[in-house]
Amino acid sequence: MTTAAPEAPAPSLTARRLWTRSRGPLVALLLLVISGVILAALQSGEQHGRLDPRSADRSGSRALARLLAGQGVSLQVVTTSEEAARASGPGTTLLITDPDVLTQKQLTALHTATAHAAGRTVLLTPGSASLWTFAPGVQAQPATGNSPRKPACSLPDAHRAGSVLLGGLRYTTSDERTDRCYPVRGRPTLLRLPAAGNGRDTVLLGSADFLYNQHLAEHGNASLALQLLGAHHHLIWYLPSVSDPSSAHDQRSFLDLIPSGWSWALLQLTIAAGLAAVWRARRLGPLVPERLPVTVPAAETTEGHARLYEQAGARDRAATVLRSATRTRLAPLLGVPPTHAHAPDRLLPALHTHLTVHADTGTDLHTLLFGPAPADDRALVQLADQLDALESSIVSQERHAPREHPDR
Amino acid sequence: MTLTGRTALVSALGALLVGFVLPSWLGIAIVQLALLIAILCDLALAAPVRKLRFTRTGETTVRLTGEAHTHLTLTNPSGRTLRAHVRDAWPPSSFHPGSDIAASRHTVRLPPAERRRLTTTLHPTRRGDHHAVRVTVRSYGPLGLAARQGSHHVPWTLRVLPPFTSRKHLPAKLARLRELDGRTSLLTRGEGTEFDSLRDYTPGDDTRSIDWRASARRQDLAVRTWRPERDRRILLVLETGRTSAARIGDIPRLDASMDAALLLGTLAARAGDHVDLLAYDRRIRASVQGRTARDLLPALTDALAPLEAELVEADARGLAAEIHRRTSRRSLIVLFTGLDAAPVEEALLPVLPSLTQRNEVIVAAVADPRIEEMAAGRHSPQAVYAAAAAEQAIAARRHTADRLRRQGITVIDATPAHLAPDLADAYLTLKSTGRL
Repeated sequence: MTTAAPEAPAPSLTARRLWTRSRGPLVALLLLVISGVILAALQSGEQHGRLDPRSADRSGSRALARLLAGQGVSLQVVTTSEEAARASGPGTTLLITDPDVLTQKQLTALHTATAHAAGRTVLLTPGSASLWTFAPGVQAQPATGNSPRKPACSLPDAHRAGSVLLGGLRYTTSDERTDRCYPVRGRPTLLRLPAAGNGRDTVLLGSADFLYNQHLAEHGNASLALQLLGAHHHLIWYLPSVSDPSSAHDQRSFLDLIPSGWSWALLQLTIAAGLAAVWRARRLGPLVPERLPVTVPAAETTEGHARLYEQAGARDRAATVLRSATRTRLAPLLGVPPTHAHAPDRLLPALHTHLTVHADTGTDLHTLLFGPAPADDRALVQLADQLDALESSIVSQERHAPREHPDR
Repeated sequence: MTLTGRTALVSALGALLVGFVLPSWLGIAIVQLALLIAILCDLALAAPVRKLRFTRTGETTVRLTGEAHTHLTLTNPSGRTLRAHVRDAWPPSSFHPGSDIAASRHTVRLPPAERRRLTTTLHPTRRGDHHAVRVTVRSYGPLGLAARQGSHHVPWTLRVLPPFTSRKHLPAKLARLRELDGRTSLLTRGEGTEFDSLRDYTPGDDTRSIDWRASARRQDLAVRTWRPERDRRILLVLETGRTSAARIGDIPRLDASMDAALLLGTLAARAGDHVDLLAYDRRIRASVQGRTARDLLPALTDALAPLEAELVEADARGLAAEIHRRTSRRSLIVLFTGLDAAPVEEALLPVLPSLTQRNEVIVAAVADPRIEEMAAGRHSPQAVYAAAAAEQAIAARRHTADRLRRQGITVIDATPAHLAPDLADAYLTLKSTGRL
């Protein structure tokens, strides 16, 4: 609304005033857009295409995808949880790159879809929400830095791979059958939960850095990655995305999304609003009363009278009044004394002598001036017009006729 | 005491501090405490309002639709600089509609022990006395976060005089008066009825005015000059009861009557007559008596300015008694009232004979142009019914006027625009025929 205003071909004064008024908000809006663009430009780059098997970026995983293809593993990239659930049949590996962005509903749906099919589920840096669904009983511990770690476990894959760049989240569990590998200060960063009868095991990784193009060639990274992800012939590579329609049914309200500090700021803003109310509430002195005059329009009773006539359809009364008024005005013009203005035998002869000059309109003067009440409203309007015509013909005749007594 | 928008803004900015740095009760408390201290400091440092001194000067009278200036001199006796908004409050009708806020407010910055003059420009839109209500001062502290507020009463009264719009007719009526007087450059015989003097005949004089007896004495032709009668008494009576309160167009009937009264008063004073004024409903509301021609108009406007119609029935008997008390000699009584049938027939007609016995009486009534407009309505049933109702009203007025005329009273029933000139003409006619 405000952006279009300066271009509008409005009168110069208005346009200038509009511009003066709106330039503040416009500048603020421009600053907001520019800072947004700058922030977006700074924040992108490194994170773009992270763990994407099609990305040749440093944090992409195209190298790993090529290696897997060379090993005869067919790779399918999916971006919605429904697709992932449909594709992960028996004998497949499901890799979820960022399980924490999934909603609880999506996690449960994925878990039930994969629960009865043999295979493997690999979760990268799962937090407590995804652990609760996919690996009950496992707790995530605070993150550590990434560095090459020794396997320190009996898992054959890890044993073959040797030291791998790992770190990040660490996991603890009380289950004795799990393989705990690559520990950092006693707590493992790779956890393999064995199959619970359906032949599907779950692998948790505390850090995904060793899967990046950038790090794949170092240490035993490639070996561990190939063994973990190439255990079955099909690999479902699930890249959770925000545009997934099933995540739209998010149960979190607006207030849950606000960081906790801002609820305090909101309280402060409420106080500010209260202060603004105090500011606006105090008037600069009380209102000054005005002693108002009486407003009774003088014509009000007459107008009420007119409406009463109309409602009652008082054509007879209205016609009588109009005829009487015309006769009263005509009498002095015709030389009839006012007292005889309403007597037909005095007025009509005088009228006839005056009208001989003009061709008579054909209307019967007696009916016009003394006749019965009109039958309907149209006849009443017509009567009024005829009375007017009669009067104006007499008046114009008087004006043009030579005066008998030109005294002043 | 009051706060400013700046306080609210600072408090809102405090939300950033609370949100980013201290999201806790502590943060909230710190922001409030800092703001409270700043407000208290500001209040303590603001110049006191009570100690300010005000004096007022300026105009005391103005004609309606004119412009008046009142000056408010503000002295700051305290040791602190006054930063203030001052509101010089007047009733809303003292300003142009919609401009009262801008016109009545002033921004002042006044160092200690100095004084300043603030000018409030008034454009009154209503006649009568306008009283200054109060002067409110909002004195801000140096930070502009809080202000002290208080009011002073600095009385002043501006009298708004009637507009006297009919004065545009005055030159024409005065010319006619001079014609009557014989003082005009035209060689017309003075139309007056009172013998003035004899002068030599000059060719062109009306031969009928030659005084043959005097010509015989002087051996030369002499003509008599006449002048209109002078030193007659005129009493303008405004009835201020409920019939005068009715509004015609946008102004009350009373204001239209006043306009006509002012024109007649001015004209009669120039013609050498003595003009008095009486406004009456159930008691005397305004009175002007025994003024000389020179200060008559100011006295009339001053007396009429605060006059408003009351919603009471006028007391015709009391009015007649008051008129009798004031007219010891034969006078012309001009009664400004309505022509409504009921009040005239029930109250006025019974007392009129006592007035007409000794005096000449004119009844001046204000007609409503709206009624004439309605009477001319045609072409639709609605308009014709309205025309019938209007004709009915006109007939009733005419009937009342006729009853008054039968008592020997001159009745002038005219719309506000025509009342003043018509009344002046009626006066001049009476004067030229020697009926005063």
